[in-house]
Amino acid sequence: MPDQQQTLSVPSLLLLAAFAAITIRYFFFTKPSTSSLRTNSRAANPADVEQIATMFPQIGRREIIWDLQRNGGSVNATTERILGRGSLDPPPPSFQPIIPPGATPSTANTNPAQLKSKHIDLITRYNLGSKISSPLSTPSEGSGPSGSPGVSQTQAWSSNKNERQALLKRRREEMILNARRKLEEMERGRLQQDG
Amino acid sequence: MASTIASRRLFHEYKLLTSSPPDGITAGPVSEDDIFLWEALIQGPDGTPFEGGIFPAELKFPKDYPLNPPTMRFLGEVWHPNVYPSGLVCISILHAPGDDPHHYEKASERWSPIQSVEKILISVMSMLAEPNDESPANIEAAKMWRERRSEFEKTVRDGVKRSLGM
Repeated sequence: MPDQQQTLSVPSLLLLAAFAAITIRYFFFTKPSTSSLRTNSRAANPADVEQIATMFPQIGRREIIWDLQRNGGSVNATTERILGRGSLDPPPPSFQPIIPPGATPSTANTNPAQLKSKHIDLITRYNLGSKISSPLSTPSEGSGPSGSPGVSQTQAWSSNKNERQALLKRRREEMILNARRKLEEMERGRLQQDG
Repeated sequence: MASTIASRRLFHEYKLLTSSPPDGITAGPVSEDDIFLWEALIQGPDGTPFEGGIFPAELKFPKDYPLNPPTMRFLGEVWHPNVYPSGLVCISILHAPGDDPHHYEKASERWSPIQSVEKILISVMSMLAEPNDESPANIEAAKMWRERRSEFEKTVRDGVKRSLGM
């Protein structure tokens, strides 16, 4: 009896060992090997990193690169994750990507001092330089695009496409010029108070 | 097909906004050749540091409008907690009903076809007056608004002056 038991258990032990080896190999080696393959083959596109960093200046570039590499370079997936959770997983300390030298520190983008030079003012944008000094006009006494006087606000809609376009343009300009005049008056008033 | 519905609806909204414009709002297509790209001017609400300012913004509509909302981006400088440094506006009415990235928005506040360009622009105007602290798009501006209110107001007022060329 004991003899027979031994002969039975040797092959079954071998079988078990083989099975265990395959299982261990499957669980512990397949996943890391594919993901590391992906990480190596898919370096994050610097343009994508910049794009996300501009959208979310609070997120570090290292986190962005780490997340992009893990999801196969999908900007959408990374954006979704930031929007959904407000942050990204911190990369392991060993992860030290090469951050492009041009990349600014994350807060610099939102510095109000930097905004100053970035935008052109409304007068320049809408080409209103010549109209700033013209006398104050209320919308009702302005002249229509065809030169006909007395086009009031109630007649803002025209069935003619070009006329509509011109009316819209005029309404925009009036809005900006009125704001500019008000501001000028306010500044004058303040200077008089000061002086 | 979807895009004809969209352009008809946009044209209709353009007409409404032109014949009875809400206070302090001017909006319409940049060119009628492309009804899916609009430019709007929003006046800064009175009694706020944005008062007296005019803020140009661009609205881009999807081809399946009004099923999905447009995106809105300020073209000039807007220092505000809910406006990304790129100018992109982050407000619940511009979020499609399906996605709620911040998990705090009521369905009624989000985009649905019964909303309109006019409602978006009015919502953005009141957003200028009352920033939403829960979902800051500009972290620095949000921090300043929370912690150093007078500095925030001065930054905004200076921006308004600059934008009008003064």
